[in-house]
Amino acid sequence: MTMKPSIAFPVAAAVLAVLAAAPLFIPDYWTGVLLGMTGYVTLATAWALFSGPTRYVSLATVAFFGVGAYVVAVLNEALPYPLVLLSAAGIGMILALAVGLSTLRLAGVYFVIFTFGLAELVRQTVSWWEVNITYTMGRYVFLPFEGRHIYWQLLALAAVTLLISWAIGRSRLGLALKAIGDDEVVAAHAGIDVTRVKLLLFVISATLITLVGAIQAPRWTYIEPSIVFNPTVSFMTLIMALLGGPMRLWGPALGAIPLFLLFEWLSVSFPDHFSIILGLLFILIVFVMPQGVLAKIDDIRKGGRA
Amino acid sequence: MSEALQISNLHKRFGGLIAVRDVSFSLAPGEVVGLLGPNGSGKTTVMNMISGALPCDGGTIRLGQTDITKMKPHRVAKQGVARTFQLVRPLPTLTVGENVLLSLAFGHRRHWGREARELVEEKLAFVGLAGRGDEQVSNLTYIDQKRMEMARALASEPELLLLDEWLAGLNPSELKIGIDLVQHLQGQGMTVLLVEHIMEAVRALCSRCIVMSAGEVIAEGPSAEVLAQPAVIKAYLGDDHA
Ligand SMILES: Nc1ncnc2c1ncn2[C@@H]1O[C@H](COP(=O)(O)OP(=O)(O)OP(=O)(O)O)[C@@H](O)[C@H]1O
Ligand SMILES: [Mg+2]
Repeated sequence: MTMKPSIAFPVAAAVLAVLAAAPLFIPDYWTGVLLGMTGYVTLATAWALFSGPTRYVSLATVAFFGVGAYVVAVLNEALPYPLVLLSAAGIGMILALAVGLSTLRLAGVYFVIFTFGLAELVRQTVSWWEVNITYTMGRYVFLPFEGRHIYWQLLALAAVTLLISWAIGRSRLGLALKAIGDDEVVAAHAGIDVTRVKLLLFVISATLITLVGAIQAPRWTYIEPSIVFNPTVSFMTLIMALLGGPMRLWGPALGAIPLFLLFEWLSVSFPDHFSIILGLLFILIVFVMPQGVLAKIDDIRKGGRA
Repeated sequence: MSEALQISNLHKRFGGLIAVRDVSFSLAPGEVVGLLGPNGSGKTTVMNMISGALPCDGGTIRLGQTDITKMKPHRVAKQGVARTFQLVRPLPTLTVGENVLLSLAFGHRRHWGREARELVEEKLAFVGLAGRGDEQVSNLTYIDQKRMEMARALASEPELLLLDEWLAGLNPSELKIGIDLVQHLQGQGMTVLLVEHIMEAVRALCSRCIVMSAGEVIAEGPSAEVLAQPAVIKAYLGDDHA
């Protein structure tokens, strides 16, 4: 993972090109799998952007994801598609600002609980709105996209997300985030505006998450709150990022790929026990390798040498 | 001539406890002043109010011409106040060098890139940690952690340095190194407010002392005179010795 940028960039570009070309050569079913996987790679990477270094565990992922999908459902016939995406990003950003301003002062488990509650609140609010104000129970998304079109958009978003994560990691902002994760008091006394940094990262992370939901919306065709605000999305994102290691650039992506495939298989093979297995996996990962697999591998390598 | 730091009528309450009561003093530029007093007399609380970690319940704090009374810690830092902590607080996920880089990048003067890396090395060398920037903080001994914290404080190129028992817990030879280091800063014209229990260090470093007891200033003046005052001896050692 410590490749020199001079090698890493061409390699990343080549991998991206291969991934982009893949739908032209593989069956639609596998394009669908790639699509779902890319969605989770982006979600986990975007989640870790904020939650990795600050250690503020957010369960609000699906709140933003669902809002993104809903904005597309509401606006897809009213506006040109690029404007629909832009509106989704803008609304996600505003929601993140409001949430961030009111919650980033909460610490530890209070933040976790609040973000979980937030996702539920947003879902209930949207349901109530649809039932009582607009009198619609669900909405149709009519956009002329096939799986591979959605996949390409997600792939581009994944690349952008990784690029943002890479750039932040090398910047002052990245250093500030790590310091905040270690000790907010020291960070503040070193001259860091802790609240602003946290807010900024939360907003960037949430906006990217909102866009994942927005881009994936056409895949469902029919959208209702219980579909797009499914809390499993938040938990899966969290587990994936933790498995791979939320403090590393490629960590969340490397956690997302195997887990997505595993979840795909589990949800098909054991649909009734899916939640239980998810919960057990979660506990296992947190106990066995709280820093993620990459750190675990590093440890083992170091241990082997010492 | 303007004072480097001017504190007037500072107050702090914690519930029913008055931790700091009507404290006033000032530091001239380039002065190293000792803030003394028995345990719980309010020294750290004063430091915390100057650095913005605690809001004041009354009084004002001026840094040069600037009123910093209501400023948040990051703004106070940017105004040129740096501090160490009574209990060392290294940042464990950062390397030794990154710990120092932090206040270069965000402090009083902002540096980044190659220039910042050179300054990190310079500050580490100054405190005696030359070439150890890439090490993990967990590898450092206690005195080296203290050195690193000093380098982190100095990296912001502060106008005022707050040292809260920075010399505590060092063995005699380390203490000598520590005192030398502060004297070196003194030679460079740094203004320092030094909380200290070790009288040897106070005598060596501070031309002037302020003594607190139970939240109030009970004596102030040249170190030798202040330390000989009966009220000071009594505050430190109890009635029997007065
Ligand atoms: N955050 C706080 N909440 C409540 N009480 C506090 C707090 N900080 C300090 N105090 C109390 O205020 C008083 C002054 O404490 P302070 O830490 O300023 O003393 P000090 O002079 O630095 O002592 P020491 O020499 O032991 O470091 C003490 O009685 C302490 O218990
Ligand atoms: Mg103290």
